[in-house]
Amino acid sequence: MARIVFIEANGTSWSVEAAEGLSLMQLAVNAGIDAIAAECGGACACGTCHCYIDSGWTDRLPQPDEQEAAMLECVINQTPESRLSCQIELSKTMDGLVVRLPGAQR
Amino acid sequence: MTDDTDFNPRAPDFAADPYAVYARLRQKPGLHYFADLDMWLASRHADVLSIVTNPKMPRMPGGILPSDELDRRQRQDNFHDMPNHQRFVQFSMLNSDGDVHDRLRRQVFRLFTPLYITSHRAVIQALVDRILDRFADGAEIDFVEDLAAEVPGHVIGHLLGVPEADCPMLRGWSENIVQYFDIDRSAERKALAEATSAQFADYLRGLKRQRRESPGDDLTSKLIAAQDAGDMSEDEFLSTAMLILMAGHGSTIDVLGSGMHALLSFPEQMQRLREDQGLIQTAVQEMFRFECPLPFFDRYASDEVTVGDRRFPKGTRFGLLYGAANRDLAQFDLADHFDIGRKPNRHLAFGGGAHFCLGNHLARLDMEIIFTTLLARFNRIELVEPPTYKPGLSVRGPKALRLKLSRG
Repeated sequence: MARIVFIEANGTSWSVEAAEGLSLMQLAVNAGIDAIAAECGGACACGTCHCYIDSGWTDRLPQPDEQEAAMLECVINQTPESRLSCQIELSKTMDGLVVRLPGAQR
Repeated sequence: MTDDTDFNPRAPDFAADPYAVYARLRQKPGLHYFADLDMWLASRHADVLSIVTNPKMPRMPGGILPSDELDRRQRQDNFHDMPNHQRFVQFSMLNSDGDVHDRLRRQVFRLFTPLYITSHRAVIQALVDRILDRFADGAEIDFVEDLAAEVPGHVIGHLLGVPEADCPMLRGWSENIVQYFDIDRSAERKALAEATSAQFADYLRGLKRQRRESPGDDLTSKLIAAQDAGDMSEDEFLSTAMLILMAGHGSTIDVLGSGMHALLSFPEQMQRLREDQGLIQTAVQEMFRFECPLPFFDRYASDEVTVGDRRFPKGTRFGLLYGAANRDLAQFDLADHFDIGRKPNRHLAFGGGAHFCLGNHLARLDMEIIFTTLLARFNRIELVEPPTYKPGLSVRGPKALRLKLSRG
């Protein structure tokens, strides 16, 4: 399976072995990465699992649906690379994916 | 089937200390069958989280149970023969699922995001300053009535464009309606909930007429625009405005009271917060975990589901004991200790899944401003008498909290 690299706002870097069937959010939470709050537990209802997908990867992932796009308008420091990590399902093709995490979720 | 002797939320000792009862429930294997409400109670964090985030476990049984069974349950719950309550309270964004819920939530969620809520910080700070100006050095106050009850309702009223003078009345109405969701469904409480629902709907029709004449930047004006665009019906407009007003009152008042009580019960934590105000965000989250203000919700299985290692048939009703899950040692170290720096703090006081508390950022900002300002103004806060907590299963908070405030 793939390895995913999470980089926190303070530069701390985590390399985590992905598990198929999990979301990017669940992987981060299971790895103990507190920068992903994910307060609603993965229902695209809170906007606190915001992350930035490295620009080389943004077009290679399935694009946000309407609900995720609406939530993304409301996160702090939104950029074109912003995604909600609960909406990204992990797959083997994501080996080497780099995910940057915001300094605050609220 | 397990017996029911261990769980009696009507007993006086439950209100005094529900956590001892919750601890016993958590130790039992599996879920606990609660015959009073014909439901299975989940008390462990992992079980509650698995139910609340499972898309096969909606809030409402519509579409799951046959209509005669739905009627029977509505009568069993004593929710029948109350037309206004059924139209505007029993139906709501909170009590709907799937496409209807998502459509209603889409109309309002932008006004409850951190970015938008934070833009109201100055308004909330000015309100809190104005209230605290009333308290002289050495004053004895009821923290619940004189401070907590004055803030959240006024702030949500401001967001909806309600005149400030009407806010105390709306708080009373909210309490009349919300009390009926607890387990005591007497005829007297039923009549009060129904009459108040009718009154509240009339008030909102009037507010709507006013806003139509002079639209503003408020939530009511935005809901009118949504209705005009065909995104919600008249009943949905009334129900959504009522829900937001009701949700903005009681639970934040309750957790403000219990949070203040926790700071007084753990004086070293209050001192820690005085010395480092940067802890206010984690402190408020810990208040929600420690004394969850809405400790009980339910869900229905829309299909056969598994919880823990047991399968439950379609139609099973589950009770979610958030207050019990938030004290689960399997999730929280020293779960019965109040730790204002606790991090991570994956408590379930805001629920989870699609119904995750819409107003959580607003409640947290209200509380952050109140506690930061109160501690900055008064160097000594003392409990005058131990509080009594409200009885029941659905709400948790002190009825009153008498304090003495001193500057010196």
